[in-house]
Amino acid sequence: MNDETKSKVSRRTFLKGLGGGAIGTAVISTGLIKSDSVEAYTPETSSGARAKTALNLKVNGKSYKVEVEHRNTLAEVLRDQLGLTGTKIGCDRGECGACTVIIDGRNLYSCSQLAVWMQGKDILTIEGLAKGDKLDPLQEAFIEHDGPQCGFCTSGQIMSGKALLMKNAKPNEAQARRGLSGNLCRCGNYNREVAAVLAVAAKAR
Amino acid sequence: MAQAPKEFSIVGKRIPRIDAYERVTGQAQYTGDIQLPGMLYARVLRSPHPHARILGIDTSKAEKLPGVKAVVHHENAKVPWSSGGHTHQRFIFNNPVRFVGDAVAAVAATDRHIAEDALKLIEVKYEKLPHVLDANEALKPDAPKIAPQGNLSVGKGNFSAPIEESWGDLDKGFKEADRVFEDTYITKHTNNAQMERRVSIAKWDAGKLTVFASTQGVSNARTDIAKDFNLPLSKVRVLCKYMGGGFGNKNQAQDYDYMAVVLARVAGQPVKVEFTREDDYIGMHGRWASEQRYKIGVKKDGTITAVSLDAVTTMGAYRKQSGNLSGTDFYNIPNFKKVILPVHTNTVVAANYRAPAYPQSVFGFASFLDQIAFEMGVNPVDMFMRNRVQKYKSKLPFTSNYLEQCIIEGSKRIGWNEKWHKPGAMGGQKKHGIGMALGGYPFRPGLGAATIRVNPDGTAHVLVGVTDIGTGAKTTMAIIASEALGIPLNQIQLTNGDTDVTPYSVGESGSRTTPFTGPAVIAAAEDVRRQIFNLAAGQLKVKAEELDLRNSEVFVKADPAQKLPLGRVVSRAGEIIGRATTNPSFKDVEGKSFSAHFAEVEVDAITGHVKITRYVAAHDSGTIINRLAAESQIMGGVVQGIGMAFTEELIIDKLTGIPVNPNYRDAKVPTHLEVPEVEVIFIEHYDPYGPFGGKVVGEPPITAAVATIANAIFNATGKRIKELPITPDKILQARQV
Repeated sequence: MNDETKSKVSRRTFLKGLGGGAIGTAVISTGLIKSDSVEAYTPETSSGARAKTALNLKVNGKSYKVEVEHRNTLAEVLRDQLGLTGTKIGCDRGECGACTVIIDGRNLYSCSQLAVWMQGKDILTIEGLAKGDKLDPLQEAFIEHDGPQCGFCTSGQIMSGKALLMKNAKPNEAQARRGLSGNLCRCGNYNREVAAVLAVAAKAR
Repeated sequence: MAQAPKEFSIVGKRIPRIDAYERVTGQAQYTGDIQLPGMLYARVLRSPHPHARILGIDTSKAEKLPGVKAVVHHENAKVPWSSGGHTHQRFIFNNPVRFVGDAVAAVAATDRHIAEDALKLIEVKYEKLPHVLDANEALKPDAPKIAPQGNLSVGKGNFSAPIEESWGDLDKGFKEADRVFEDTYITKHTNNAQMERRVSIAKWDAGKLTVFASTQGVSNARTDIAKDFNLPLSKVRVLCKYMGGGFGNKNQAQDYDYMAVVLARVAGQPVKVEFTREDDYIGMHGRWASEQRYKIGVKKDGTITAVSLDAVTTMGAYRKQSGNLSGTDFYNIPNFKKVILPVHTNTVVAANYRAPAYPQSVFGFASFLDQIAFEMGVNPVDMFMRNRVQKYKSKLPFTSNYLEQCIIEGSKRIGWNEKWHKPGAMGGQKKHGIGMALGGYPFRPGLGAATIRVNPDGTAHVLVGVTDIGTGAKTTMAIIASEALGIPLNQIQLTNGDTDVTPYSVGESGSRTTPFTGPAVIAAAEDVRRQIFNLAAGQLKVKAEELDLRNSEVFVKADPAQKLPLGRVVSRAGEIIGRATTNPSFKDVEGKSFSAHFAEVEVDAITGHVKITRYVAAHDSGTIINRLAAESQIMGGVVQGIGMAFTEELIIDKLTGIPVNPNYRDAKVPTHLEVPEVEVIFIEHYDPYGPFGGKVVGEPPITAAVATIANAIFNATGKRIKELPITPDKILQARQV
């Protein structure tokens, strides 16, 4: 399913609605134009003309049409425009991993990906892991094994763990540690996080 | 003094956190996740100089940038920042600026990038002043003066004075010694580095101020804000529902809270102040660095006769916390004297970081004891056992003390007797080492409050002021409530961290939540039960004293078949509200949690790299309330100790005073790859003064970790590293000496 059919307002309609290049109007400045059943935050933005691009973001299987400044990172857009604040920003410079999301199957720091690069990519965030009320097995394992202490790194740990399990359903401990090694946990709960990944691996066939 | 119950229904089990679902699904809303309509974003401009007078500040260009709504600095926002207990006056913006990173101005704009752009447009004219970065240099008479009273920091009483403590007769103690040793140990400034960057949101509604803080204590944050902005407490609301770590001074209100308050006032819109990670490293605080000069007298068998400690601690430009060193607490020292000079320097402030006065001085003292054991030909485990503390300051008994069992069980688990060898005796490239040290943290009771509402359907609502900084405090309080009420945990809702709704809490620091708020939860539950039994007595036609409540059923103790569902009892009253404010205290006793840590390492003789191959942490924390979270706390404390032992140090350029590694990568906090399995042993005994017998868990695990690792490295190499962090180059250098 492409994003035009999924979104109620297609990209074409959306562009037409802008009246041909009227970038920077009040409508535009609300950031999020339209999405399916997702409540958007609409921070006031500068009226100054800055480089902006409209694009489709495919996040957790939903299409979002957004207007982003070129300097906006994916982490910022997820949090500020889409309200998907489960993705945290711990350092904003590609060191801590709190912002880890899965992009086309790879765990990546969303603070180090510009939003404008995301056209056509498939983005999975912590909010997209559960199927309705049913948690992902890794989320369940994180609860059982006390994965979160303060919980601020937890989304990132889970997304790196998930990316690993998607590639390798039965990682050993060394592989699990390596797979999560880009995710810092200052509470020092590393052994719990690894145990959660290994618990899911142990159940895999 | 309470008696231990025969059996707990939920206390001591492995209970997943009550808010774990929210934390693993991304639904937990941390302060930075909150978006308010019309909210502005703010960024902070910091001093590039270690000491300078601001001659002028021109914000006109910044103000003209579209989207900028407010610019504040020392001229238009003279707001005192008195939180933290330091006694000389500090403002949120100071002139002169006293360290690289001292806040100069803050900008609020419609988005964070505009605020960042605006910072670059602020023109500040500085007159550079002479600066001093080193604590010993700062104490010299001709050193640049950082504080008006001089560079020896001001303590309580508003005068410059060292921290002094003594007992016994030092001269006599040294005379009794068979040998007297002297040496110096050095530790460095390390940052708390909690994952959540500092953030605060303030909004004003018709004279009422609301602050969404990232704080360890909403009650004391409210008190600070009300005081410094001269507002009645009723006009200030502070909330913190989820908090991404603090490990120390996110307690109280911080300058970023105040900046949000001022900017929101000026702009007339809600403002979110976000610190960058660099702001956090250079602008806030970390653990105080120290230089510890010890003189220790011992008998032939290693028994300590006297200890003197002369030390300087580097407190940075402002005094926030004590600067004390308390690593000698875990030893029996008949004659003792310490003189500690907390010193101002033109460097980032030092303040609380998990067990503030401990890991650095446990490193110094336990390393030196281990060295003395070697010199005297005593096995370290005998040295530590012989000298373990038995009376507080050689005087008062402890409420409970199972340090001996910690040593016995820990050494047994790691196999000390089989594995210990003479230091440096192992051949080959990978040298095995084993080491140990003692630790712990004060356990003291104090003021706490709780409210419990029982609904007509028998479910309960617990209201406590505590925040949960990652310790699992919310879950601990819910478990205590469940146990005390006789209502299952899944029937209990907990509301926390909102000064308009929840009662007073001391703040989640100093391992105080369980001993302060825990007893209040128990007392509030007893209040609830008393009311329930009075109601049910009529219904069951018995006396209230004859009733009990368990598993949400009220029943006659002598005849449990005579019972009523809790909801049926409560519904007659609409709801039942129990409350309690408790303030227990000690009389002629002192409290402490204790620990003995053990580590095995492998030191690569060629590269100087150290691998921890095994770690055992034995803890006496009284009754364990939640085994799952308590184990996590122990593991986490050890991991932070690993960082402090091996890598972490905020390095400040000696010429310019600029911190050169203010970020995770260069300050090198531990990752998944450096962490060994940590085996946790709880020596569980009911402490008569703790809620359900529990003492404290949060701070103790970091205290002994650094020294334990250092002593294991000594056992492997036979060379003593006396300065943190213990990097490969230091190990290689020591080997060549």
